[in-house]
Amino acid sequence: MTPESDRIRVWLQTTGGIVAVLLLVQFLTGVLLAFYYVPAVDHAHTTVSYIEKVVSSGSWLRSLHHYGSQWLALFAFLHVVRLFWDHAYVDRRVQWIAAVLLLMLVMAAAGTGYSLPWDARAFFSTRVAEGLVSGLPFAGRLSRLWVLGGTEISTITLSRFFALHVLVTPFAILGVVLWKYGRRTCWSNVNRNALVGGLVFVALAVWCLKFPAPLGPPVETMTADYLPRPGAQFLWLYQSLKYVPGGLGSIVGVVLPGIGLGILLLLPWLKAKRLVGLTVLATFSAIILAMTIAAHLSDRRDPRTREQLAKQVAQEAAWRNEPFSPRSLQSTQSAPQTSTAAGPPDMYVKFCANCHGAHGEGAQQGRLRFPSLLGVGAKPRRTVDDIVGLLHDPAAYGLQPPMRSFSGKLTEEQMKEIAAWVVQLKQ
Amino acid sequence: MMYDGLTQMQSEPNNSRRSFLQLLPFGVLAGVFASIGGAAFRFLRPRIAAASEQWVDVAALPELTGPQPLAKKVVAEHISGWAVTNEEHNVFVLPASNNKVLSPICPHEGCEVTWEQSRNRFACPCHESYFAADGSRISGPAPRGLDSLPARVQDGKLQVQYRVTDDA
Repeated sequence: MTPESDRIRVWLQTTGGIVAVLLLVQFLTGVLLAFYYVPAVDHAHTTVSYIEKVVSSGSWLRSLHHYGSQWLALFAFLHVVRLFWDHAYVDRRVQWIAAVLLLMLVMAAAGTGYSLPWDARAFFSTRVAEGLVSGLPFAGRLSRLWVLGGTEISTITLSRFFALHVLVTPFAILGVVLWKYGRRTCWSNVNRNALVGGLVFVALAVWCLKFPAPLGPPVETMTADYLPRPGAQFLWLYQSLKYVPGGLGSIVGVVLPGIGLGILLLLPWLKAKRLVGLTVLATFSAIILAMTIAAHLSDRRDPRTREQLAKQVAQEAAWRNEPFSPRSLQSTQSAPQTSTAAGPPDMYVKFCANCHGAHGEGAQQGRLRFPSLLGVGAKPRRTVDDIVGLLHDPAAYGLQPPMRSFSGKLTEEQMKEIAAWVVQLKQ
Repeated sequence: MMYDGLTQMQSEPNNSRRSFLQLLPFGVLAGVFASIGGAAFRFLRPRIAAASEQWVDVAALPELTGPQPLAKKVVAEHISGWAVTNEEHNVFVLPASNNKVLSPICPHEGCEVTWEQSRNRFACPCHESYFAADGSRISGPAPRGLDSLPARVQDGKLQVQYRVTDDA
């Protein structure tokens, strides 16, 4: 080691300071956002819109939270890499394990956080999370029920993601940080850490002044041609899943990364630590880098995708220029009571109620649990016309048997009557 | 001695530089807190909006007859931040006083008064303030009579201007 390389090296050892500052930013901005955000499907998008459009400094603080989470993921990973390079897994085990745990928790926080705005992108993010856990070997079905809080994505799911994002992961992160720093005070290189952390904060703050956090259309107004894209820290996963058939998504997205991170956690006790650690980190780095670049290139290469994404950007810009519209808090219970005071249509009772419940609440028949229709009107591709189409051809709308076509049993008018009644059912 | 003096002189700038550098982490923390804190103050500051000039219908003019105050319901739109609600409020219309409209809110502690027809007076059930048929104060702890609301006639209907936004 030359003095020259030592001088460079001490500056590269400031990843901890950067992570500390970015964590602080996430905590502060997260607390502030919680003063306005409401974790319910009929209010989440409105409250985030209110923060973006009306509340002073709301857009900047939300942008700090959004881009801060992406920068935090990057620097948390670089921190692990840096500690690996410095052999921390040998003589600073607590610091090593804390860094790996922090990386996992930061990614978990981001994964749950993306669902909270309940825009089109958030809905698909939740769908992907549902798909990933449901594909887990042995525990998939149960995991899905626990993550969703039921048999389908609903306001309960949003509440769960909110609790995980705002309470569970922050407390876990705090626990890890206190565990790491509570054992011994390690204040070497503090000034450089502080300086670089401060510079990164300034860079983030300026970036966020220029670029607001994205907010897509509300779930209920989303069109079928909407193309969701995850946040930067999950682009690698999004692209990887394009190459993976059917049920193997969970293996690629959850099991393999979990095994890799598990190996890193256990590295202090493994043989051939350097080789094993290098293999895992190099594999992670290569996949993340290659898949992220591939995702960007893939979007640019396909003209229709490029055009649709540009259209979505333009639509969001137009939306930002519109004034904010407050949302009515009137109870929606009165609306379905009024319209269901006359009861569901006769044809619904005859053909649908056995499976979906007399009032659309769902039903159990033997081992089969048939889904509730409450709130289905708020889901993508479930307008009145969609439901009529679905009654003609369920497979075209992603539905499997025992749901079947009613083309031979219901007239067009009868289908419209059923569809009009179903879309106004509320949770 | 001279050597010691030189050593002392050379170490003084290093000591002050070291003290400055020791403050750097706190400076960075202070900078983060100050910038986010400043935004946080603006972010959390309650929004005080001027009352909107929303006129709400009370009743058609032909309904407003008789010597007694008439209890009517109005539905006013309330905006609280991102949420809007339609809330029902009671008002009293005085047909005998050119359809003057009175708020039923007692000026004492904000309870809602009722009309006692047998005694020809408004009565507050909370602390026994009493008001005459024209809203003026008779007795009790209320500091003044019932407030009157801005009213107008539009297209054959009596309308009143009810407070529609939050204020501090």
